[in-house]
Amino acid sequence: MNSKTVTARSVATRAAAALVLLILILLFCTMTGSHPVSLKNALTGAGDTQGHNIDYEIIFGSRLPRVLLAAIVGAALACAGVTLQAILRNPLADPYILGISSGAGLGGALAIMLASFLGSWAGVSVSVFAFVGAFGTVWLVWFIGHFATGRSSATSLLLAGVVINAFFSALIMFLTQIAKSYQLREIWLWLMGSITEKSLVVIGASAAAILLGLVGLFSIAQRLNVLTLGRAEAQGLGVATARTNLIAFALSAFVTSIAVSLSGLIGFVGLIVPHGVRLIFGPDHRQLLPLSAISGAALLAVADTLARTVIAPAQLPVGIITAITGGPFFLILLARYNRKVSWVK
Amino acid sequence: MSLPVEIENVSFAYGPQIVLQDMSFGVQRGQFLAVVGPNGAGKSTLLNLICGLLRPQKGQIRIDGADIHSYSVKALARKVAVVRQEFVPAFDFTVAEVVAMARTPYMSTFGFESESDREIIAQALEMTETSRFESRPIRQLSGGERQRVFIARALAQQSPILLLDEPTSFLDFKHQVGIYDLLKEVQSKTNKTIIAVTHDINLAIQYCDKALLISDKTGHLGDINEVFTREKIEDVFGVTTFEGMVESEKFFLPLGKFAKSNPQNGQARKNL
Repeated sequence: MNSKTVTARSVATRAAAALVLLILILLFCTMTGSHPVSLKNALTGAGDTQGHNIDYEIIFGSRLPRVLLAAIVGAALACAGVTLQAILRNPLADPYILGISSGAGLGGALAIMLASFLGSWAGVSVSVFAFVGAFGTVWLVWFIGHFATGRSSATSLLLAGVVINAFFSALIMFLTQIAKSYQLREIWLWLMGSITEKSLVVIGASAAAILLGLVGLFSIAQRLNVLTLGRAEAQGLGVATARTNLIAFALSAFVTSIAVSLSGLIGFVGLIVPHGVRLIFGPDHRQLLPLSAISGAALLAVADTLARTVIAPAQLPVGIITAITGGPFFLILLARYNRKVSWVK
Repeated sequence: MSLPVEIENVSFAYGPQIVLQDMSFGVQRGQFLAVVGPNGAGKSTLLNLICGLLRPQKGQIRIDGADIHSYSVKALARKVAVVRQEFVPAFDFTVAEVVAMARTPYMSTFGFESESDREIIAQALEMTETSRFESRPIRQLSGGERQRVFIARALAQQSPILLLDEPTSFLDFKHQVGIYDLLKEVQSKTNKTIIAVTHDINLAIQYCDKALLISDKTGHLGDINEVFTREKIEDVFGVTTFEGMVESEKFFLPLGKFAKSNPQNGQARKNL
């Protein structure tokens, strides 16, 4: 019996091991790049004058912030994917399914086109607009899903998401038609999802907000387990379904909105990481959520390292890397998993 | 001492369609009650009212003497466990994992099963003879195995009241009596109050202490012999039956127009 279900100890052991692995991967990503660097030299400090220690500048000023940013975005997207798959009871759900992508896209595109009006705010406006667009849109979907149809089923939420996505996508298309060519390129780059250097303050604040959201999700992990059995079953097992759904929805919308405001629309991470972890370690959310957070962080950090090295000194949008590598990786996982099931039988 | 389940003047309607009207009855502690009635009579609605999933528009439902809506969802789950008819798993949870979910109403935030929880889960698997496939995904089980798993989960929930919605539909003879034998064993060993919605009148006669016959939006509670008479069944279900005896208990065989043993059969078949 004991080995058949997860325990606090088994989760802690696996999460700790995964965390060590993640730190090694992040370190490797930091050391990898078009310009070779010496960690030993970097650790001696910044030096007396700006630019005195090149290794320090590259590692602490450029690469490490970027690697950390990729890691927190990856963790957020993976956990939001897990949560939405649970509350929608649909393994095909991803963080963007309820309109976040089009809302963020519309916000981001608007900010890019209005850059000249926004003046000195133009630098942060894309993030702010994207966050507002994303967060606003999911709640619009939530309210349409609940009140337009009169009941809170997963199907009505999904339908509301599809409708809003289609409508906002049309608005984005319209914006790209009237955009100037330099704006168009910027919009496309953003829609594909790309990680760029951000200040340590922005990264720190975002990381804190995302971690808070993830801890919130971990705290309802057992309730998410029960929710996957359906509303009636969950209520019979003592879970207040409406409230838990709302908490899960709000937290995943929050972390996803922060993630897209930092990096644009990076696809596939929120879909394949939950699946991969579930196939290997099982569907128990008390283990699935922490391990997905760690795997998502590692995956996006590696993908972004590829994005900035494969055609160095030029850079690719990381969204292209996740889509190109994510698809086949996912198929391999599925094939392996199906074989395993038939062996057991 | 208060009754485990008390229904008082309860009315319930889905929109304009009234399902139950002014229904009142009580169930004694440790009793095995069968709820029978035609399709659409409101049996499952009644079950959903007793587990708090639906709210009556009128009247009161009391669990252990207190209004059902004075309980939190969590507290109610410690009183009432439900075994439902249909189940569509979204993810591949194993048998052990599904049964372990029964301990959710006893867990705190960030909760994991304690040592005593594990003991309780193991006992429930043991009693329902499901421990031998505890690590199989629930999706891969047969109907009979799956039903036992859900009964195991209800047992691990350690509630004094157990509700079941048609626990033997889709099961063959062996699995039907297997389920009822198990429920009887549970009743005598744990003194649970069991309420089972069923279409199988003959199994109800063999295993249950009382029966509630639902018709005309209300229920008639009585002893098995009193509720199940040929006249009542023909009246409520609108079908001719043959009534026989096995040892001291009755049994009923429904006989349709063209059934071979229908006394009017000869005439009806000729007209075919």
